[in-house]
Amino acid sequence: MPDTVNYMLLGYAVLFGMPLLYVLTWWLRRRNLEKDLEMLRTLAEDKKP
Amino acid sequence: MIKSDRALHILNMATAALLIVATGLVFLYAPTERTMGAVQRVFYFHVSAAWVGLAAFMVTFVVGIIYLRTGNPRWDRIGHSSVEIGLVFTIMGAASGSIWARPAWNTWWTWDPRLTTYTIMALIYVAYLMLRQGIDDPNRRARFAAIYGIVGFISVPITFFSIRIWRTIHPVVVGTGGGDAAQGSFAMTDPMRTTLLFSVFTFTVVYVCLLANRVRLEELAERVEHLKARLLSA
Repeated sequence: MPDTVNYMLLGYAVLFGMPLLYVLTWWLRRRNLEKDLEMLRTLAEDKKP
Repeated sequence: MIKSDRALHILNMATAALLIVATGLVFLYAPTERTMGAVQRVFYFHVSAAWVGLAAFMVTFVVGIIYLRTGNPRWDRIGHSSVEIGLVFTIMGAASGSIWARPAWNTWWTWDPRLTTYTIMALIYVAYLMLRQGIDDPNRRARFAAIYGIVGFISVPITFFSIRIWRTIHPVVVGTGGGDAAQGSFAMTDPMRTTLLFSVFTFTVVYVCLLANRVRLEELAERVEHLKARLLSA
C-alpha cells in the first residue's frame, strides 16, 4: 500500500480550511456593515430638522 | 430564509454535530483503500463538496425563475448567496481533487473533459458575481442576475454528464458509465458507500446552514444600501 498520508492531510486541510476562511470573511463583512449602519443612523439623526 | 434566531442556532449546532460524525466515519469507519492508500479518504468530502457546488447553482437557477415571476427581492438574495457558497465548494472540490490526482494520476492537473467543464462552470459563476458588482440599480441587478443564473446553469448538467459523454480520465463514482480511460476507480465496499452517502447528506445540511447565515448577511448589506440611498436622496 503506498504511503499517501501527506496528500490526505493536505486534502483535508483544504477541505476544512477553505470554508473556515470563507466564514471568517463573513465575520469581517458583518463587522464593517454594522459600523456603516451605525454611522448612517447617526448621520440620519443629524439630518433631522 | 430562517427568521428565528433560535432556529438558526439549532441548525448551526446540528450542522456542527453532523460534521463531527461525518469526519469520524471518514477516518475511523471507512476502510483504507488498498491501491491508493490514505489519500482515497479525500474522496468522501471531495465528492460531497462538488455535489454542493452543483446543487447551489441549481438553487440559483430555480430561485432565478421564481424571482422573474414574482419580483420579490428575497429570491435574489438567496440566488446571490447560493452562487457565492457554490463557488467556495466548487473550488474546494477542484483543489481536493487535484491533491488526490497527484498520487492517483501522477499529475496535479490535466485538461480532461471533466476538469475543463468544471473550470468553465466555475468561471461562469465568477462572472455572475462580477456582473452583480457592475450594476448599481438593485432591481436591474437582480433581474440581470436571475437571467444570468438561469442561462449559466447550462454548464452544470454539461459538467455532471461530461464523464459519461466523453472519454475521460476521471472515474465515475455515482451510477454507472465512464470509459476504459478512467484512472483511480475502486470497488466501493458497504462501509465506504455508507460514509459517502452520510458525507453527501452532511454537506447538503452544511450548505443549507451556510445559505441561511449568508442570506442574513445579505439582508444587513441591503439595509445599509437602502439607508445610504435614502440619505443621498434627502
